[in-house]
Amino acid sequence: MTTSDLVRRRVVSDHPLPWLMPLIAILVVFTIFPLVYNIWLSFHEFVPRRRALEWVGGRNWAQLWADTRFWQSLTVTFIYFGIALAVELVLGMAIALLLDADEPGFGFLRGILTMTLVIPPAIAGMMYLLMEDPQFGVISYVLKAIGLLSPATPILATTQYALAGVLLAEIWQWTPFMVLILLAGLRALPSEPYEAAMIDGASPWQTFWRLTMPMMSKVIAIAVLIRGIDLFRVFDYVFVMTSGGPGTATYTLSLYAWQQTFSFVKWGYGATLSLVMLLIVLIIANVFIKVAKVRW
Amino acid sequence: MRDWQRKTYLASVTDRYVKGQMDRRSFLRAAGKLGLSVGALGAGFGLSGRRPFFNLAPSAFAEGSLEPSPEMMKWLADVGKPFAGTTLRLATESTPPSNAIANSLKPFFEKASGIKIEIEVLPLEQVLQKLTLDVASQLGTYDLYYIDQSWAANFSQDVFDPREQIKDKPDLAYPDYNIDDFLPPLVDGIAKYKDRWVGVPYDIPIFIMQYRKDIYDELGLKAPETMDELLTNSQKITEAKGPQLYGTTGQMKSGHYSLECDWTCWLWGHGGQIFDTDRKFVGNNDAGIKAIEYWDKLKKTMPPGVDGWTWDGEGQSVSQGVAASMLSWGEFFPFFDDPKSGKISGLMEAAVPPKAITLISPDKTGFGEIPGVGHQGGSSLAVSKYSKNPDAAWVFMQWATAADTQALITVLGGGTGPTRTSVYDDPRVKANARVGAGTTRHLPVVRETISKYMGSEPDLPEWAEISSDTIPVALGQYFAGQYDSPKAAMDDIKTKVEAVLKS
Repeated sequence: MTTSDLVRRRVVSDHPLPWLMPLIAILVVFTIFPLVYNIWLSFHEFVPRRRALEWVGGRNWAQLWADTRFWQSLTVTFIYFGIALAVELVLGMAIALLLDADEPGFGFLRGILTMTLVIPPAIAGMMYLLMEDPQFGVISYVLKAIGLLSPATPILATTQYALAGVLLAEIWQWTPFMVLILLAGLRALPSEPYEAAMIDGASPWQTFWRLTMPMMSKVIAIAVLIRGIDLFRVFDYVFVMTSGGPGTATYTLSLYAWQQTFSFVKWGYGATLSLVMLLIVLIIANVFIKVAKVRW
Repeated sequence: MRDWQRKTYLASVTDRYVKGQMDRRSFLRAAGKLGLSVGALGAGFGLSGRRPFFNLAPSAFAEGSLEPSPEMMKWLADVGKPFAGTTLRLATESTPPSNAIANSLKPFFEKASGIKIEIEVLPLEQVLQKLTLDVASQLGTYDLYYIDQSWAANFSQDVFDPREQIKDKPDLAYPDYNIDDFLPPLVDGIAKYKDRWVGVPYDIPIFIMQYRKDIYDELGLKAPETMDELLTNSQKITEAKGPQLYGTTGQMKSGHYSLECDWTCWLWGHGGQIFDTDRKFVGNNDAGIKAIEYWDKLKKTMPPGVDGWTWDGEGQSVSQGVAASMLSWGEFFPFFDDPKSGKISGLMEAAVPPKAITLISPDKTGFGEIPGVGHQGGSSLAVSKYSKNPDAAWVFMQWATAADTQALITVLGGGTGPTRTSVYDDPRVKANARVGAGTTRHLPVVRETISKYMGSEPDLPEWAEISSDTIPVALGQYFAGQYDSPKAAMDDIKTKVEAVLKS
């Protein structure tokens, strides 16, 4: 057999391996190796005085239990995750149902809605940072004008309001994403069940809860899954708007992991924190997939 | 016409002249009406459109006077020959010296020496990350290290001591380098760790008193000489002009290094200290508590947004006419004088910081801490021990920190404070001491502050974490009302600092 026969045989092979090799190579280089390296790193720590990564066994993992900053940032991340996901889902569904009505001009509105998604989150954070400025910000001005905020209260520097201030930017930017997914789901629903419900005299409320929601459940599950994973690693808004403050009121887990890794050169502990984040996301996502019966 | 009004008018006509909205004759006539001397007119021309240096340099100077001296160019040509074609790399924060070199002066060095220089301008934490990786791998990716004063301890063993380089390489030494010309307090505060020089002082941002002369005059106030005067002046201004204009401002963003910088100023100004000779945190002693109580009062005279600002917001609050004074980075002064940057060109004056109530002597502190109201945030430049081209890097370092280059940096880099004594007296630097962008009229105050009022943070490897996280996060919690009292906050900081030191 000549070389060209060999090549031809490989090229026209119906065995899956040659066709999967590029993808496997990409996965190994960009996913599996970093993951394995991160796991290895979590059992080591960089020692500045000796300029070396040294084996520390399970110390980084054990340190998590006693690290109050870790628990605080985990709590903030869960609160952020829960509130943002709930508000984006409810608002997204409401807007999607509205846009599904297809009134004149709604096509334009759908186009406008997607515009927030092309703005880099750091820029959106900067915008809201200015809008929430106690001196010059339009949001602060309006809240003060209607009596919801006292003149001397800076939203992002007040423990009670800072997280809400950050969430405002998050929700503004990402609710349209929910709208797009949910609207696509609504458009794909069959019309027959609705016609039958109308003949049977079902109210709009009953139609929504008995027909739309069950039929939309898979789409909602996918939307929640995608946004949920994204929300859990929130970084940009917090970094730009509050740097985690005041105090630790808006300190999220990803910000903490970044700070430990890049600001304090604690590569081992930073890797441990990022692995914890990965584990939490994996567990939550898999439980959710099971409960919501999401099929990929 | 008052002095500040005359200066404002001059800034305005100069601005119009620069933009081409006024011809040369009208400009001269307008300036002449102000009764300005020929020298002052020359300063006015400093902002004219003829810019020999890549549109960055003011041209108050004769053609060619803002170029490296012929002696320097000749030395570079001679000493650089063996290294022609070599490429050097430097990772640096975006500071005036680095920007002036990267944007304006680099071509002169490269042309004369044949050595190429690549400058990576990065956020400070990324510079630290790159240097740490470089020393860990010992690959010599970076030939020169930009070392923030708080990292001197970390990198002291990874760079050459410049005194040794001068001694060991006489054939590479620039004859007029004069290492003794560096301001001694800067050598102690920035570039020295124990007995080693961790490079040479490269830049010097430092706290000076900057205030609105027009507002102070209107209310019959004088530049504060004591901490109490600063507080009462700020209170009077806030009472008279608030909420449109507040007495002073700050950089108090929770969790940010800038908040720690402000804290040290008030702490040292009240006779406090961070560490004692036993290397224990003592910022929670009586002086430390008094400092926080003072700060609480002063904060009431700051704009409401101050809790969310780092140095950028602080500077903007002054330049936009929201705050009437700041005891903070002197590098802002040329920015305030720039008519394009805000509303207060020509209205600001500089003064030395208010005197400390009492001041702890450096020999009673730990980790080389030097108490002083004029907090400094300088950095040094050094040749890496892992560099593959240490000799070429040493040539570059001498050029970048020589008096001649530093004078050009000061003028081209927007009035930044020099680290050499002789540069403060350089005619090119003095000629720029007029109202307008890149002014150097605040530099005499900077010089006096360095010599008499400068405060330097301690040198210890853990300081990056303590100063950028432990202290500013807890202070942020305090100002957000999460502690019952200053004492509770400072005690908690002590516990946390000691935990970091133990770990």
